Amino acid sequence: MFYKPKQAIHTPISRRKFLELGGAGATMLGAGSLAVGLNSTIMSTRVQAASSEEAKWRQYAGSKLVFLSENTPPSFAIRENIQSFYEKTGIEVEILTDDLPVVQQKAGIDLRSGKSDYTLNYVQDKPIGAPFADFYVDLSTMFGDDTLPQDPEGYGDGAWFENFLSACGRFYAEDKIIALPYDAAVACTFYRQDLFEAHTKDFEAEYGYRLEFNEETTWKQVLDIAKFFKAMKEGGADVPYGYAQHQGSFAWTTQLDIQRMMFSHGQWIDFPIDDKLGSKRPGPTNWGDEQSVLMLEKFKELGDASHPDNLANGTLELNTVYQSGNIAMQVQYHEFAASVENPETSVASGGRTAYAPCPKGDADWNLTGGPLVNGTNCGIGGIGINANASEDMQRAAYLFAIWSTSNQIQYDVLAGLGGTPTRKSVLEREDVKAAQQRPTNMPNALTFDAVYNHGIKDPHFVLGPKIPEANEYHSILASETQQMLSGQKSPAETAAAMKEQFDFLNDV
Amino acid sequence: MTDVTNFENKSMLSGAAQLFRAREHSVEVEARPLTDALPAPTIFNPPAPKRYYLYLMAPAIAVLAFISLYPFFWLIVMSLQSVDIGSSEWVGFRNYARLLKDPNFLSGWGLLLKYSAMCLFMQLAIGLMLAVIVNNHRYEKYLVTALLMPMMMAPAVAGLLWLFLYNGTFGWYHWILQSLGILDSASILASQSTSMYAIVLVDVWQWTPLITLIALAGLKKVPRDQLEANMVDGASPIRNFFAITLPNLYPVLLIAILLRFMDNFRFIDHILVLTGGGPGNSTKILPVYLFEVAFKFFKLGRGAAIALTLLIVTIVLGMILVRVFDKPQSERK
Repeated sequence: MFYKPKQAIHTPISRRKFLELGGAGATMLGAGSLAVGLNSTIMSTRVQAASSEEAKWRQYAGSKLVFLSENTPPSFAIRENIQSFYEKTGIEVEILTDDLPVVQQKAGIDLRSGKSDYTLNYVQDKPIGAPFADFYVDLSTMFGDDTLPQDPEGYGDGAWFENFLSACGRFYAEDKIIALPYDAAVACTFYRQDLFEAHTKDFEAEYGYRLEFNEETTWKQVLDIAKFFKAMKEGGADVPYGYAQHQGSFAWTTQLDIQRMMFSHGQWIDFPIDDKLGSKRPGPTNWGDEQSVLMLEKFKELGDASHPDNLANGTLELNTVYQSGNIAMQVQYHEFAASVENPETSVASGGRTAYAPCPKGDADWNLTGGPLVNGTNCGIGGIGINANASEDMQRAAYLFAIWSTSNQIQYDVLAGLGGTPTRKSVLEREDVKAAQQRPTNMPNALTFDAVYNHGIKDPHFVLGPKIPEANEYHSILASETQQMLSGQKSPAETAAAMKEQFDFLNDV
Repeated sequence: MTDVTNFENKSMLSGAAQLFRAREHSVEVEARPLTDALPAPTIFNPPAPKRYYLYLMAPAIAVLAFISLYPFFWLIVMSLQSVDIGSSEWVGFRNYARLLKDPNFLSGWGLLLKYSAMCLFMQLAIGLMLAVIVNNHRYEKYLVTALLMPMMMAPAVAGLLWLFLYNGTFGWYHWILQSLGILDSASILASQSTSMYAIVLVDVWQWTPLITLIALAGLKKVPRDQLEANMVDGASPIRNFFAITLPNLYPVLLIAILLRFMDNFRFIDHILVLTGGGPGNSTKILPVYLFEVAFKFFKLGRGAAIALTLLIVTIVLGMILVRVFDKPQSERK
């Protein structure tokens, strides 16, 4: 076939030799494939997996999972420690982190388009859970499965802090659990104890009660405190403003900011639905009623007495204002205590800050006749599994979900990076109990009494509205509230505008 | 028409050179030679049939249709549906009807036009001024390089940079503006009355260099003889600028204006970073609202309807702009 010079020295490979070499190559290729296959999900069976605890963890060795998460401490800490999960399971996990709005967009497109580029998602209760709840695996079908490892503490409501499982796991149906509590941000009050003590005499002379903060302090008193500090500041005194709201560009936290005050007064909620379960058809909104108009008036008064940068401060910026010593008090999420207590970045560290539950409702401001409570809301980030993934990938993802929410990992995150645990048992550790008092090496633990022993418990805990249109709801509410705070609309006009838009949104 | 071919030594000039000379010495920019330079050739292959060109262009047309026309028509179809990702339902013109009742849609248009007008006016004025200053300057190359730096930054990064500069707690520009008495204690982003100016300023900072660059290229092409003749007639430099330079810049400015006009309808990165459309919708120009509807609320049908209206208005306004600037100088006056 090919040209060959007549004098060329040439030793052709015999047909036998050629077949021998080919056979050897094919055998090696097959052996290699078999070795890889034996180490992967293809060869594992559930019977084999059930044979031992180690086999249960290693049944999906060789798989790769992608976890899309918000850029919060647990994900950073777990990413640092991901090698231990790999050694335990043989599963490679890539953790991608981004800002919540970006995570929401990416997760939403992935879930709703039937893809599973992200096998695991960070399910932030309302921004991600409420609109995409139908696209996650029902984890309750995996609880108790003897071919999968199980956490010894279980996954029931009792294993987590009060209401956490409902917050991120239950949407529109009682018996379906779409996520396990992975990360928590619960609101509580941060206040400058040193400033309160220094000015209590002047305050008492003007308002008739001591300048202090505890679980009985009401929203009306918060308004007094804000006005007191603002008057002193404008009078030339070297003091910060008294208070500031979360009224910046992040719509969800803007909604949470006003919701706390609304719920404190007679447990007012936006829609007449089960707040913890949510509803796909919430019906007509309660906005526009007498109580809501009164609350908006008070919220506006509080806004006027707050730090002038109120409308530019999202949650993170607000904390910066507090850390820099420009306000004396903020209602903030307890995960921020770690940054407030850091002396390198905060003038409010070193015992100057004390923590208390969120302010309580005031009888003078309550037209509902309902109870006065310390309205406390939160963002509970769950970890959920994409239902578009194959069954094997879902089961592999389950291994990571239960590992990342286990007692040990939650403790490691708390101690290592200042995370916030979701499992109750973490607080039973002796060093965590001790860390709740100063001096402490776990600054977030200083908030645990206000948050875990008080705020998250009923009747103070408020969650909703869990509705499929949650993100548009947040956007409308933020926009209307900001316009009211700017003086563009009156509280009554704002309440009416919100009612009109929410009812339109929900096809009422 | 002026006879522009009356040179002393005609035999020395070829046909192409005649054209070049004619243009260089013309008083009218539109000047043309009086006769055809060369007779048409007679011995050539017969022209190919028109379908031959169609075959040649077919691959390009197919690619263009795939990447441009198909999405365009799909956008129209989507705008007539209630679209979720993965499922859809035909709703006719309900998305459009809803837009007419949507206060964010209507206010979004107003804000977009206000934002675009402010950005374009400032960028044109400052960009032209900078171009005139930099033109033929001793350090022109260095100045142009320095001016172009903001343009090389990703708009989202520029937004972040200005977010820090505007910050009410540690922002340097906030401190300057407050010290000058321009701002009260609230930061520029915290007030509905100033937030629009804040985002306009960022856009002007980042994209004025583009106008400068284009105008600078135009300035190099302004006929020197016209300028000199005008000055010999006693015109001041300012009159020279408005009578000679500016009219000669119209074609390049048209390109600059069109580019920036369309960019203002598209680029929202810095707005999303700086204000997210707030406070209270004061910076929620229509593209920001479109982004919200499509990618935060996942209402793709409604988003498509907004996008289509935006596209149609952009095309119409673009055509009007071209017509205005494309008129001959005499008609423009």
